[in-house]
Amino acid sequence: MSSHLDLRDVSVSFNGFKALNALNMSVRKGELRCLIGPNGAGKTTALDIICGKVKPSAGTVSFDGTALQDLEEFEIARAGVGRKFQVPSVFRELSVSENLDVARARRTSVLGNLRWNIGNSGREDIERLAELVGLTEQLDRPAAYLSHGQTQWLEIGMLVAQDAELILMDEPTAGMTAQETRKTAELFARLKGKHTLIVVEHDMGFVKAIGDIISVMHMGQMLAEGTAAEVEAHPEVRRAYLGSGGISHA
Amino acid sequence: MPSHVPNSSGLQRLIAQLAPLLIVCAIVFALPVLLNNDFLLNKVARYLVLGILTVSLGLSWGFGGILNLGQAMSFGLGSYAMAMALKLKTVPVHTGASGLPDFMVWNNVQHLPWFWEPFRSLTFAIAAGLIVPALVAAALGWFMFRGRVTGVYVSIITLATMVVINLVIIDQQSYTGGFNGITDLAQLEIFGVAFDAYGRATYYLVACCVLLSLLVAFAFTKSKAGLIVQAIRDHESRVRYFGYDVALYQIFVFALSAAIAGLAGMLYTVVMEFASPTFLGVQLSLSVVVWCAVGGRQSLVGAFLGAVLVAGMQGALSESAAFLETWTLVMGALFVLVVLFLPKGLAGLAQVVWRWIVQRRQAASGRVAQGVGQTEGST
Amino acid sequence: MDQFIEQIVTGLSIGSILLLVALGLSIIYGSMGIINLAHGEFVMLGAYAAWVFHTYLGLGLLASLVPIFLVVAAFGWVIERYVLSLLNNRPLDTILATWGVGIMLQQAVRLSVGSELRYVQLPPALSDSMDVFGISVSSYRVFLFVVSIALFGATWLLMNRTPVGMKLRAIIQDRSVAASFGINAKRVYALTFAYGAGLAGLAGALVSPLKSVSPDMGTGYVVDAFMVVVLGGVQSLAGTVASAFILGELSGGIAFLQNDTVAKAIVLLAIVVLIRFRPEGLFTARVRA
Ligand SMILES: Nc1ncnc2c1ncn2[C@@H]1O[C@H](COP(=O)(O)OP(=O)(O)OP(=O)(O)O)[C@@H](O)[C@H]1O
Ligand SMILES: [Mg+2]
Repeated sequence: MSSHLDLRDVSVSFNGFKALNALNMSVRKGELRCLIGPNGAGKTTALDIICGKVKPSAGTVSFDGTALQDLEEFEIARAGVGRKFQVPSVFRELSVSENLDVARARRTSVLGNLRWNIGNSGREDIERLAELVGLTEQLDRPAAYLSHGQTQWLEIGMLVAQDAELILMDEPTAGMTAQETRKTAELFARLKGKHTLIVVEHDMGFVKAIGDIISVMHMGQMLAEGTAAEVEAHPEVRRAYLGSGGISHA
Repeated sequence: MPSHVPNSSGLQRLIAQLAPLLIVCAIVFALPVLLNNDFLLNKVARYLVLGILTVSLGLSWGFGGILNLGQAMSFGLGSYAMAMALKLKTVPVHTGASGLPDFMVWNNVQHLPWFWEPFRSLTFAIAAGLIVPALVAAALGWFMFRGRVTGVYVSIITLATMVVINLVIIDQQSYTGGFNGITDLAQLEIFGVAFDAYGRATYYLVACCVLLSLLVAFAFTKSKAGLIVQAIRDHESRVRYFGYDVALYQIFVFALSAAIAGLAGMLYTVVMEFASPTFLGVQLSLSVVVWCAVGGRQSLVGAFLGAVLVAGMQGALSESAAFLETWTLVMGALFVLVVLFLPKGLAGLAQVVWRWIVQRRQAASGRVAQGVGQTEGST
Repeated sequence: MDQFIEQIVTGLSIGSILLLVALGLSIIYGSMGIINLAHGEFVMLGAYAAWVFHTYLGLGLLASLVPIFLVVAAFGWVIERYVLSLLNNRPLDTILATWGVGIMLQQAVRLSVGSELRYVQLPPALSDSMDVFGISVSSYRVFLFVVSIALFGATWLLMNRTPVGMKLRAIIQDRSVAASFGINAKRVYALTFAYGAGLAGLAGALVSPLKSVSPDMGTGYVVDAFMVVVLGGVQSLAGTVASAFILGELSGGIAFLQNDTVAKAIVLLAIVVLIRFRPEGLFTARVRA
């Protein structure tokens, strides 16, 4: 079994505080992996390491045989890694369609992007994406006017537009209604297989709906891995969540 | 679910966006017909050149989010490139064929410095007027943006760099004419056409350059690269995670903006008939920021008109010293008000008014066409 | 040897003036994140206030210090309240706005008082000179040194030992959390800005006997002060002190060694390099590398 993404003994410290402590994780191609853990466990930091936002102080990250830890963010993105942030990050002054257009990063060089796109080439693509995330009517409005949930959708749409091989999602359903969350789950099910996904979530219902294997982090380390039932039965996981009302309420 | 959202085709949209630009340029070209006064025409040409300079700032500031407080640096470099070429043309007349520019003779310089030598060719000078500012900007941009310098710090570095170059130019009097600049220039002559500062030819040259630079800037902002630059303005780090090398885009828009400013600088020398260290001075550089903010930093035409109108008004009032002093006070107040309440400048205001008019019209016609169905207009 | 000591003492004197001028800017920049380009004009207002108090009210410089502080602080309060507080979350625009305000203040003074140079008398009690390490130094310069250190001390106490300072530091950490604990951020910001402006006014009044007073005198000061703040690090008062005296010594030294243009250019290039490689200043520990 060759793994697609491999984190080996990754450590990060912020001012002496070890946010990640020899973290190990590997994900197969086409898998949808859920990453859970109590607040401050280091889930966001783990994604930060993969996409290059934070550099590890020790350890390696390999993706399809490429060592990511020495690359710059844009190089990692070009290697096929896309990222959705916990705080929804879109281009507020640009319209929804422009946001999606920026995300369609087929060409990345400056000179390659000096051409115009008059006419409707690409427009259809964008309209399809907008429909996928339910923002057809907002296409020409600035992203600043979107609601929180819609902004989440837009960023998810941007990741689909980017078409990265590996997609990292940090709490994609935060701020969504139950119905919207269900729609997100459907979308992720469709992406699975074509893309490899790592989804950080607190909502156990959502995690059970989409995930095959669940990884549980605690205090910067991997605590357990397995199916939902296995993980919930795991004694250490129970202990880690103790005091925060149990795993399903985290 | 709506069956289909009415969606004007890309081309139509483009034409609508180009319209204000073309209208303004048409007026610029038509002006000599109305203004039958060479002296006035020269003044207008001056403001048009400052308009080009302001467009260049709008490109980097309004679209790229790079508030370059040293925009006049590129302007000054362009202006000196042109002045050096035109000065060397006077040598045979002023100090003899093998001689030196007059100010060098006064400063006891023996040989023409090496960096003056290539400016014997006008073609070289014109190329240099565009390329040197662009290269300097690219180098400075590389220095800043590779180090992820942003926001206020970019403003300070650009301002400080400009002041340093200004100091050097003033200090190296024997090579640059120092404080006095380079004066007593020959007329620019291209393909047998002489460009007298007070002639129509010069005005039309400037007008053509206005059209050209507005079109180039417009084309850039409508390209995908232009869109990415705006995305960088909104959320720099986000752009990186899509695989774009942010620094390269910033360097590109910074250098493009510098080249346009260099073009403006060359024209300024032709129109003013000299080059001076004040052309890359703090005063001018900060004025450009004011014009750009008042006109509308995110609108090319707005920035252009902002410069022409405000600088023009200032020029008209500067006949009287007392007026000028009051004017500066009024300008300061106007500027603060614009920053506070009109972050998109007069262009933003115009847009809001225009939208309001369109909506009212649609509402009116909607009442007539009741029952046909709801049409949501988006402009 | 004597010359060396003289250099050091000159540097200390320049440094104390730099500290006086930079302290207000540092407070405002460090706590509100605003680069106040009108700072130089606050300095200028302070100097003019000293001149007005002396010329029209016959008040000596020392007697007018407190009223000057209050007057310029009031200016600052008004500007924060009616201009800057409208620009939340638009840091680049605050530079533009404060610059516009600076132009207005300068121009208003030019129109009302005129642009000719004005002079302020040294306080008679401090017009002699005294002996420092075998060097004769004007008493007024020694006085400035002491005052600058005292003002720094007072500011430090204000920030670290009073409720207002505590609230300010809470707001710097997290404005919304501070607000939820009932801290009125608006009021604290206005007070901070007023205090910074008042300090600038004091600085202007105190340097006025050494230099001539003119409407555009502030421009040079704002550059100097900014340099001090950048070098010292944004949120570090102690860094401000250190960098003020380092720059004082350096500028004494550079001016001694080289001509003025080169000195200016070197200083500017140093700022550029510093910002590029250590935007957080020389004297702050790197956080979140
Ligand atoms: N830039 C930083 N500087 C200092 N500490 C940080 C930084 N980023 C994260 N941390 C700390 O590292 C730890 C892990 O943070 P992280 O954001 O990865 O947790 P998380 O699992 O995503 O939590 P949550 O579920 O709340 O999003 C936390 O204790 C956090 O305070
Ligand atoms: Mg997190």
